[in-house]
Amino acid sequence: MKLLIVEDEPSLNKNIVDYLVGRGYLCESVNNFQDAVEKTECYEYDCIILDIMLPGGSGLRLLQQLKANRKSDGVIIISARNELDDKIAGIELGADDYLTKPFHLPELGARIAAIIRRKSLQGNNQLFFEDILIDIPAKTVSINNQPLQLTPKEYDMLLYFIINKNRVLSKSSIAEHLWGDDMDLADNHDFLYTHVKNLRKKVLLAGGGDYIQSIYGIGYKFSQA
Amino acid sequence: MKMFTRYSRLNLGSSIIIFLVGCSAFYFVLDHVLTQEINQVLNSEKEEITHFVKTHNSLPEITNTRDQQVYFSQAELPVEQKLVSKKAWNQRQAKLEWIRELVFGIEVNGLHYKVTVDKSQDQKNSFLNLIALIATGMIGLSLLTTLIINRIVLNKLWQPFYQSIDQISNYQLNGNGQLNLPKTNITEFNLLNNCVDAMVTHVEQDFQALKQFTGNAAHEMQTPLAVIAVNTESLIQDEALLEVHGSTISSIENAAKKLSRLNQSLLLLTKIESDRFALNEKVEWDVLVQQRLDELQDLIVLKDLSIELKTVPVSSTFHNQLAEILISNLVGNAIRYNKERGRIVLQLDSSELIISNTSGLPALDKTKIFDRFYRHPETREDGNGLGLSIVKQICEMSGYALDYQYANSMHVFSVRFPGK
Repeated sequence: MKLLIVEDEPSLNKNIVDYLVGRGYLCESVNNFQDAVEKTECYEYDCIILDIMLPGGSGLRLLQQLKANRKSDGVIIISARNELDDKIAGIELGADDYLTKPFHLPELGARIAAIIRRKSLQGNNQLFFEDILIDIPAKTVSINNQPLQLTPKEYDMLLYFIINKNRVLSKSSIAEHLWGDDMDLADNHDFLYTHVKNLRKKVLLAGGGDYIQSIYGIGYKFSQA
Repeated sequence: MKMFTRYSRLNLGSSIIIFLVGCSAFYFVLDHVLTQEINQVLNSEKEEITHFVKTHNSLPEITNTRDQQVYFSQAELPVEQKLVSKKAWNQRQAKLEWIRELVFGIEVNGLHYKVTVDKSQDQKNSFLNLIALIATGMIGLSLLTTLIINRIVLNKLWQPFYQSIDQISNYQLNGNGQLNLPKTNITEFNLLNNCVDAMVTHVEQDFQALKQFTGNAAHEMQTPLAVIAVNTESLIQDEALLEVHGSTISSIENAAKKLSRLNQSLLLLTKIESDRFALNEKVEWDVLVQQRLDELQDLIVLKDLSIELKTVPVSSTFHNQLAEILISNLVGNAIRYNKERGRIVLQLDSSELIISNTSGLPALDKTKIFDRFYRHPETREDGNGLGLSIVKQICEMSGYALDYQYANSMHVFSVRFPGK
């Protein structure tokens, strides 16, 4: 899987690349409009992570060029501007998703994974982790070939964990993925704890391993026991 | 007081005074001239009588006419001459009238006679009266004409002024409009229009700059915030570091998130303030309320809240995102500030949306709760203090009436839709 990261802020660019390389993607990165145009003209990418405000031109213009050249690269826009108009313009120009800065890297990972799955429907739509198998189109989970009943939130959480396996996920990242900005409303993260506890219990009862580790009050990590 | 009224009062008042003074002067001068004339007639009568006496040495035969009578009467002593005006009985016409009377003495054959010549002033008076009447009529007519002409002319002259005022009062600051006031041929109005135009242009420029600043500031802030966020996330991958600095890193992460949300809220407020939302979408309020409750189901269960939902299908022409924000903020507050096992009552009908909730908080200060960054002292700093300000701003721009009441231990927020 090959990704192109178009982001002018060096630190942000590097962190995104590091994270995505860690997720097993092949990454190339550029920091201005011209380089981005050259890269997209020469190569095909599974997904392009595109900032709108770039030195040399707007990300939206790049999007227009991609469309004019009938490129089928998936595009996820990352922008500091949470303006509805921009969002609509981006989606209308053919972007697959829109993420407002600041964002959690695992969230970006989950969105990229979703875009790639959608782009390659004929491909592998099953996700494995040890004894867990997720059938993404059917939204079903099985452990050792035994179906596992999960609530929609638990399913989302498991998927998020597996996409971001072997990585410490902060509570706010998980909460935001599951409940959006509403997590802000909850009195504390004990709420999240209840959901994590339930998921862990269900996986264990079905004969799966204890994959969810609690990490020092920061969050959780999904990895081999 | 309208300028015209004031001007008319001044104008009419001074005209009336001038006319009054002028007319009185005219009257007295005329009266004096006419009286002089009568005096001359009386004097020439005297001369005639004196001349007759001198030549004939006897009193002349008198033929009294309608407006002139002469009487002779004997006197003891020589009679002094006097000339007076007085009222006297006119026998011929059987009425009291003003007369001019000349009394003089004459000596005939050593006898003193008093000669009285009366001349009626009736003619003079009726003449004066007629002139007064004509003058009054003409003055009245001229004042009336002035008034009407002023009214018409002034109204017409002031027309450009009212046009400008109309335009100015309909003017909305939106950063892209300019006020093009009509050119007139009146220097003062052009001066006014030019000044207002210049002022508006200046304000528009400032507004544009401010908007650009807000947008830029937001962009400039979000990117560093994103850098903080991703770097924090990289840090938390180092588990050895977490053991020592876990809570520090966590608080950095949360603070960055909070700052970002605050930033987004301020941007939203600015955007609503500058009226950049067109209210032209069909909004189904009942659907939005239900959607929002579904999304918040987990939190409602967590707090063990009981929800009473009394809604009927209501739709209006509004803006979907704004309606979502409005509902989201009100319902969010109703959950956030509720107590364990509390209640939320949601009522929606075609006239209003009412959201009531129980809470550990006492009645709130109605004058402050919609202020930016106001937080009840007893609440924790988990909200950013802008939620209700945003709701208020949305209501203000759309003409909805937002109200808060504390009744039966419930905090009641109501949004009244404008009457149909």
